[in-house]
Amino acid sequence: MWSCATPRSSTRISGGLALLEVEGLAAGYLGERVIDGIDLEVRTGEAVAIVGSNGAGKSTLFRAIAGLLPTMEGRVVLDGKELTRRPAHRISRAGIAYVPAERHLFPAMTLKSNLVLGAYPGRPDPSALELVYELFPRLKERQRQQAGTLSGGEQQMLAVARALMARPRLLMLDEPTTGLSPKIAQVAFEAFEGLKSEGMTLLIAEQQVPLALSVADRGYVLESGRIRLTGTSEELDQNPEVRRAYLGVA
Amino acid sequence: MTEDRARSLPLRRMASAVLPILGAAAVLAALPSVWFGDSPYTTSLAVQALVFASYGVGFNLIFGSTNQLFLCVGALAGVGGYAAGILANETSQPMLVAIVVGTASAAIVGGLLSWIAVRRSLGIIFTGIVTLVFSLGFANLLLGQRDLTGSETGLIVEGVPSGLADDMVGGYYLFAGLLVAFLIVFRALQLSHIGWAFRALRDDEVAAELAGVDVARYRVYAATVGSAMIGLTGAVLAYSAGFISPATYSFDRVDVRVLVMVAFGGLGTLLGPLIGAGVFAILDEQLTASLELREVLYGVFVIAIFLFFRRGVVQAIVSLFDRFSGRGRARHDLQPSRE
Amino acid sequence: MRAVVLDGIVLGLAFGLLGVGMTLVYGLGGVINLAYGQIVVLAAIVISVVMEDGRATFVAAIVGVLAAAGVSVLLDLTLMRPVYHQHGEERTLLGLLLTLGAAFVIGGVLTWRYPDGALYIFVSGDPISIVGVPMSVGSIWASVIALAVAAVLLLFFGATTFGRGVRSVIQDETGARLVGINPSFVRTVIFALSGALAGVVAIAQSMSGPLTVNAGFELTTFALIVTVVGGLGSVAGAFLAGVLLGVVNSLSAHYIGQYITTIILLGAAALTILIRPRGLLGR
Repeated sequence: MWSCATPRSSTRISGGLALLEVEGLAAGYLGERVIDGIDLEVRTGEAVAIVGSNGAGKSTLFRAIAGLLPTMEGRVVLDGKELTRRPAHRISRAGIAYVPAERHLFPAMTLKSNLVLGAYPGRPDPSALELVYELFPRLKERQRQQAGTLSGGEQQMLAVARALMARPRLLMLDEPTTGLSPKIAQVAFEAFEGLKSEGMTLLIAEQQVPLALSVADRGYVLESGRIRLTGTSEELDQNPEVRRAYLGVA
Repeated sequence: MTEDRARSLPLRRMASAVLPILGAAAVLAALPSVWFGDSPYTTSLAVQALVFASYGVGFNLIFGSTNQLFLCVGALAGVGGYAAGILANETSQPMLVAIVVGTASAAIVGGLLSWIAVRRSLGIIFTGIVTLVFSLGFANLLLGQRDLTGSETGLIVEGVPSGLADDMVGGYYLFAGLLVAFLIVFRALQLSHIGWAFRALRDDEVAAELAGVDVARYRVYAATVGSAMIGLTGAVLAYSAGFISPATYSFDRVDVRVLVMVAFGGLGTLLGPLIGAGVFAILDEQLTASLELREVLYGVFVIAIFLFFRRGVVQAIVSLFDRFSGRGRARHDLQPSRE
Repeated sequence: MRAVVLDGIVLGLAFGLLGVGMTLVYGLGGVINLAYGQIVVLAAIVISVVMEDGRATFVAAIVGVLAAAGVSVLLDLTLMRPVYHQHGEERTLLGLLLTLGAAFVIGGVLTWRYPDGALYIFVSGDPISIVGVPMSVGSIWASVIALAVAAVLLLFFGATTFGRGVRSVIQDETGARLVGINPSFVRTVIFALSGALAGVVAIAQSMSGPLTVNAGFELTTFALIVTVVGGLGSVAGAFLAGVLLGVVNSLSAHYIGQYITTIILLGAAALTILIRPRGLLGR
């Protein structure tokens, strides 16, 4: 199971108490707010999608939650623990694993070293490594290869695998299909489905709405920095506005 | 009515352009009678300050105006000084010829360094390192070419009229005149289209390039003119002092001091080098006791200036003053050339 | 000729460590520490003072290394804070200027209090023959120490978790933060490490000849040359460049002349910047 040892206040059943709570979050660059008034929550075991077009603010939102961007207003709470304005490395150690679109791998280190570092500060237990190789067999083949020489799809897999090494409570994936061919993107989302069925809590930002909604239980539609809509993935899929704007349906 | 106003505007601009220079010239002209009192020691101190102020104007043109970190001010001055001195000693050319050759040599070297930096797209840091390497290399060259340069023992430069020696009032006026000339050139450039190009490329290089400013060319221009100023000063110094050695133009002695004093007075401003040179001359006077203590103080100054007074201590004081007196009007003479 | 080359290697090992110390700080934080040579001198002075006090050389050496590490940490915690707030070229420039100021302060204080200060660790014993060349015991000790430290560094960066963490910060700082590494803490530790290395260089160098209180600027220059030639940020590159330039220095000084030698070394740095800016092993 991917969920980590005995969560404090949330139950294991999907639909239980919120693991991640975001209230009134505002963030941006150089004094300008890119996102404002964001309220969202992710419950343990859920997969939540954040959909929106380019420039809607998805990455800004994720970076703010992960601590890479200082928040201007609002709160971020993980399992009752206040994470607002904490430095990124603290948020990582608190249990939020963020996989950005740019991946930020360590290019001159081997694939295996990248994974080992994922468990920082501790040394990873061998079972974590095994599980990751099971999930992404291709990575085991190339474990001695330098991360910078891997293909786009392999790098994406490595980025996700590295995030998993620390046994996070919440996995945030920012546009995981960036630079991937449709076939590999499909494979990636199948892997995410697998993770979810193992109990991992996921928060995924995606432009490709059908793909996102296929894995997610619920979703939020982000437009111009604000939450426009929210609902279960079925509701969003049926919503005429969503269909028109994102699914190319007249 | 409006015609009068339209006519008075360029007049006012001309006044603000010329006034600070006239003011500085007046102060410099009056200084000997007010302060020196016939003491050759004070005179030579003032001359030294003028020399550094002149170096500073050149450095301001290169670094202040076009962001090229030339850590070779001393070396450029040395090129001027030694070229002139060696030419004079080896071929007994008249003083004027030797000085022109010295100036031209420095201008060529400076322009070349800039051209190379531009061609290889060296950033500020690498430009700084390359020019520093040139500085140290040049110093070693001087030390190594014993026959030509006299190495550490130095070179005696003959042929200067005694009235212009660096501890005589004549020498003082010579350097003062040089400095004022440099200020005029600096101001003229500032107010011309060249100055506009400098400001554009300093603010945002990419935008300037897109707006049609040939960044490379203007950089080399600035470096060439600035180096000419520095070389000219070095050459005149060689004659005026009558004796030069590698120490006269070393990195420790020249570059660090020029950097600190120009930064103190305000990088990119017209009178910054003057004010900086003046302040540091007075400081040096007060601290003749311990050279090491002076070094420590320089270090503290460097840190303080680049941490707290990026636009120069002078500018900080001026803005404080302006804020108290409620005046928000821009003061052109002390404002860095961002118009 | 063999003797010259061996002397060059002995010198080069010290150069190498010097370069490693400087390149580490650059690789992690983008800062060129122009006060580095002065920190070496500081270590040397501290060691000589402690030795004059009657303590054993070994004890003095430890104190010197710790002092250098301590001063470096102080530098990082004070002057470097505003530097790290800047980014890219701005940061490197500010770091350069502030460390230059620090160099003057440290150097000035040292030359003021210890105007005749120098460290010379004399190791007694007859010369030992290495590949047919008689080498002084001091030189051999210096080389052994340098090699031992290099080996420890290799182990540290290659095999320990923290060492890998350091490499990760150099390669991708954001990625490091995402896996839970605090780059600020790592930078401070590395600053301390670079200080310790400066101390080791002081010890090694002073075994071959007196290290005077005025050597600061020269040492910084050598460190900068080695760092640039090896590739800014590359630890292996700095070490390799150090050894190579040490040999070049030795050969050139022996066969050509002192001043030309310095020009050659400086030229190597300039040529690297102009032709191959990433250096020998840089990325």
